This record gives sequence, C-alpha cells and structure tokens, in this order.
Amino acid sequence: MNPFKNLRLWVWVAAAVVVFNGFFPALWIFFTSLKLEGELTRIPITYWPDNPTFQNYLQAFREQPLGRYFFNSVVVAVGSTLLCVGVGSLAAYALARLHVPRRNLILSLLVGVSMFPVASLMVPLYQTFNEIGLRNNYLALILPHAALSLPVATLTLVSFFAGIPRDLESAAMVDGSSRLGALWRIVVPLSAPGVFTAAILAFVNSWDEFLLASTLLPAKAMRTLPVGIQLYQGEYVFPWPLISAALVVALVPVALVIAVFQERVVGGLTQGGVKG
Amino acid sequence: MTRPQDRYRRSFGDLSERALAFWLLVPAGLLLGFIALYPVIRLVYTSFFQYQLTLGPDATFNGLENYAAALRDARFWNALKNTSLIVLVTVPGALLVGLGLALLANLPFRVKWPVRLGLLLPWALPLVFVGLIFQWFFDSQYGVVNDLLARLGGERQFWLFKPDLAFWAICWTIIWKTSSFVALILLAGLQTIPKELYEAAEVDGASPFQRFWRVTLPLLTPAILVALIFRTITAFQTFDIPYAMTKGGPGNATETLAMYVRVTSIENLNFGYGSALAMLLFLISMVITMIYLRYVRGADE
Repeated sequence: MNPFKNLRLWVWVAAAVVVFNGFFPALWIFFTSLKLEGELTRIPITYWPDNPTFQNYLQAFREQPLGRYFFNSVVVAVGSTLLCVGVGSLAAYALARLHVPRRNLILSLLVGVSMFPVASLMVPLYQTFNEIGLRNNYLALILPHAALSLPVATLTLVSFFAGIPRDLESAAMVDGSSRLGALWRIVVPLSAPGVFTAAILAFVNSWDEFLLASTLLPAKAMRTLPVGIQLYQGEYVFPWPLISAALVVALVPVALVIAVFQERVVGGLTQGGVKG
Repeated sequence: MTRPQDRYRRSFGDLSERALAFWLLVPAGLLLGFIALYPVIRLVYTSFFQYQLTLGPDATFNGLENYAAALRDARFWNALKNTSLIVLVTVPGALLVGLGLALLANLPFRVKWPVRLGLLLPWALPLVFVGLIFQWFFDSQYGVVNDLLARLGGERQFWLFKPDLAFWAICWTIIWKTSSFVALILLAGLQTIPKELYEAAEVDGASPFQRFWRVTLPLLTPAILVALIFRTITAFQTFDIPYAMTKGGPGNATETLAMYVRVTSIENLNFGYGSALAMLLFLISMVITMIYLRYVRGADE
C-alpha cells in the first residue's frame, strides 16, 4: 500500500472531524428552523427536514419584535466597536510610540482589567445607571461593551503600531508633515489591518454579550438579540420553531464576519497566546 | 551619531511628547475609570453595608457582616462548589479536546478555510445561543443525544432534570464551546515549532509518540499555560451556558457563583449582600490574574 495515499486519507478524516465538530450545532439549528412544528415533535426525530420551509422565519418576525432586537444589537455592537477602536487607537499609539512613564505597569493593568468578572461589575453598574437614569438607554450598554473590549483592542493595536517602522514616520515629519499629518498619512493606513482586527473582536464580543445586556437594557423595546431570544422560552413551553429561526437570524452577522475575515480574527485572537 | 529614535524624540522635545501621550491616554482612562475602576470601588464600599431595596431605601453600615453571612450561607457554598467543579472538569476537558483539535488542524491541508472556520465558529457563537442549542440537543423527547442513545440501544435520559446529568450536560456544552478557542491558541503555538526539529528527531529514530512527547509538548508549554489560565479565569465566571440550559436547576444543583450574584443583587435587589458575593468572585479572578501576570507575562520580559 502506498503510505502517501494513506496519509491523504487521514488528512481528510482529520478535516472532517474538525469541520463536523465546529459546524454541527449551527447546522442542526438551521435544519431545525426549516421544520414545521409537526415535524419537530415527531418521534423518531428526523435529521433532514422532510418538507423544508421558511415559514418559521415569517412567524419569528411576526410574533416577536425580532427586527427590533436585531436593530438594537446592531446599534450597540456598532456603537461600542467604534468607541472602543477610537479610544483604543489613541491609547495604543501613545503606548507604542511615545515615552509613557510606567508603560509596563499600564499594560499589565490593561490585562488585569480585561480579566474583571462581568458579573461583579454588573452590580455597581446597575446601581449607577439606575441613579443617573441611563438604564434602558443604548449608552448603558455601549459604554460597558466598549470598555470591556478596550484592553484587548488596545493590546492588539499596540503590537501593530510597534510593528510600523519609526523611520517611515520620522521621514514624513522631516519632509515637513506635522506629527498628526504623519500619523494620518503613514501610521493610519499601515495600521488599518490592526484596527480592523480590533474592531472585529470588539464587534463579536458585543454581539455575544448577555449578562450586562439583560441587566442594563431589560425593556422589551431595548433588548438585544441574546436577551430577546433567551426570553422566548416560557416556564414549560419551548417554542422551538420560533427560537431556531430567530437563532439563525441572529447568527448570520457573526458568521458572515468571521467567514470573511477569518485570517484576521485568528491572528488577533492568538497574538496574546503566542507572545504571552 | 544620533540614532533615529533620538532624532525623533528631539524634534518634539520631551515635554510636549509627554503631554501628547497624556492626552492620548485620557479617553481610555476615563472610559475604564467609569466602567471598571469606579464600579469596583463602589462594589467594595457597598459590600460593607446592609442594603436591600425591597426592605427599604436606606443602607446601614455593617462592616464585614455580609462576608460572614456568605460563609454561613449554604447556597453560597453550593454555588462555589458548582463553579469549582465546572472549572475542574471543563478546563482540563477543553485543553485536551483543544489539543486534539489543534493537532488535527495542523495537518497539511490544501484548502485551509473549512478547518479554520470549523475552529472559529464555536468561538463566535454567543454563549447563550450555544446554551439554547445544546438544550435542544439534550431535550429528553426530541433531542439528538437521546435519539442517538436510543439507536445505540441505550436508555433515554432526562438530561436537564436530574442534578448529575444536568451538570455533565453543562460541562459537555462548555467544553465544546471553549475548546476551539484553546485549539486556535495551541495551533498558533504549533505553527511556531520549526520543522527541522521534527526532521532531526526522525533522523534520530524517534517514534511519532516520542516526537510528540519530546518535541511538541515542551515547545507548546507556553501556549498551553496561556490557554490554561485564560480558561480558568473565564470558567470561574461561568454564567451564560448554565443560565440558558437550566437556570441553575433542578433546584440549585447547577447554580454558579455568577448566577447567585445576579439572583441576589438584580432579582432580589439585595445590593449589600450581592456586592459581597460579587467581591468574592472578583477576588478569585484577580488572584488567578496575578499568577498569570507574574509567571506567564513576566517570564517573557
């Protein structure tokens, strides 16, 4: 037997295992969303939908304000991403390029803050936002989401800025550009990939967050997708046709983002791991 | 001779550079001050008060009484036990599964994106949704798990209605959700190991097992440590998956520390006691973070 052929076979098996493991739950919920109530509650269960239909999707949008939840999620995720990346870029530029006293302490503090348990911050944030009347206002979630992603975004950007040769920047300044001019024309374009990576991480974090969203934006009209869909389940009833269709709708944006930018996401996620 | 850095620095003067750095750091400082630092101070402060909105609007100082109450509270110990068990099961579980996935994903594929996406998707799915999807998997009547069990001749189980089974179902779900992130970190580590080392080991007659044990594992240790500590910290904060799957039930059998914090402070509006519980969770996370900063990051510099 040809050992090379054998190896190719094992490579195929390995790929199949990883792909199946990663895709199965999402695929299963997609198949579920194509089945009507009657098929969902039949024993034995069907693996492939007998009679695929998008009926559940219409119902999901009609019976619950799914469109509204989607809109809320977009507002919070986009708002917090912009804030996080904007604030993070400024800080990262200073930390990577300028003389900052106690720079290592600041970097360590950032790592420390990123480990704060959200459940602990939730209690005082709930009190504070209640007192200043910010609960059920988009800002009540945009600010915490931006802050929670800020350490990771900043650390990602620091390593990107640090990778841009200083000489490029000084050359532009020698040519008469101001520091801001050099920043704008040299550093910003060169660091665009880094900014983008940070933005994707912040977006996915915000899109997925549940604990603060359910505490700080509890009003029905303000719920984000994880909060809204989680509440579809009653005490004893579980409207699976609705839930599965809504889950698919909620998963499409993140799935698209990671599918299109997968290399960037992997790079951003693993940077900390490789460099420690 | 002037080095480029010197020229660069001199052209602005030390003072204005410091001022610029300061102003660039101010927005980040304000945001983290408002959302992280102030809340922690307030958390410490509130934890010293008897303060429950359902009893009245006033807070009265009671020193360490809330902490003492936590030590006498069986539900706190139960939540701490559940959380610790989740850490003990899911962290090694995710590391082992993640290592397996990383080794598989490190094979020479011609087309890389399906495998990469297979590792990214579990990371990107919201925890609550993973909880909901796996609740459907473990459904006693229409779930895939019971269907497969029945087909293989096993017995259908009431997964989420029995304390032990619910715990294992939750652990299984957490391991699935988190192992792919571990795999991504380990995969990045694997890819930094020079191929020549394997070739040299092969020339020396090392078996594949020896090559794994003597080359891969030692060189992967830093990445494993990072994954281990990140996973441990997030596992202590577990909330979403058990919340979506069982709401802490049956009874309080799967309630975690973060869930008990939420019930106490947000649902029962007992901010004083809830803050003390949240402080205990905070302290656990910070101790592990210190270890991380000291041994993993510090070793690097």
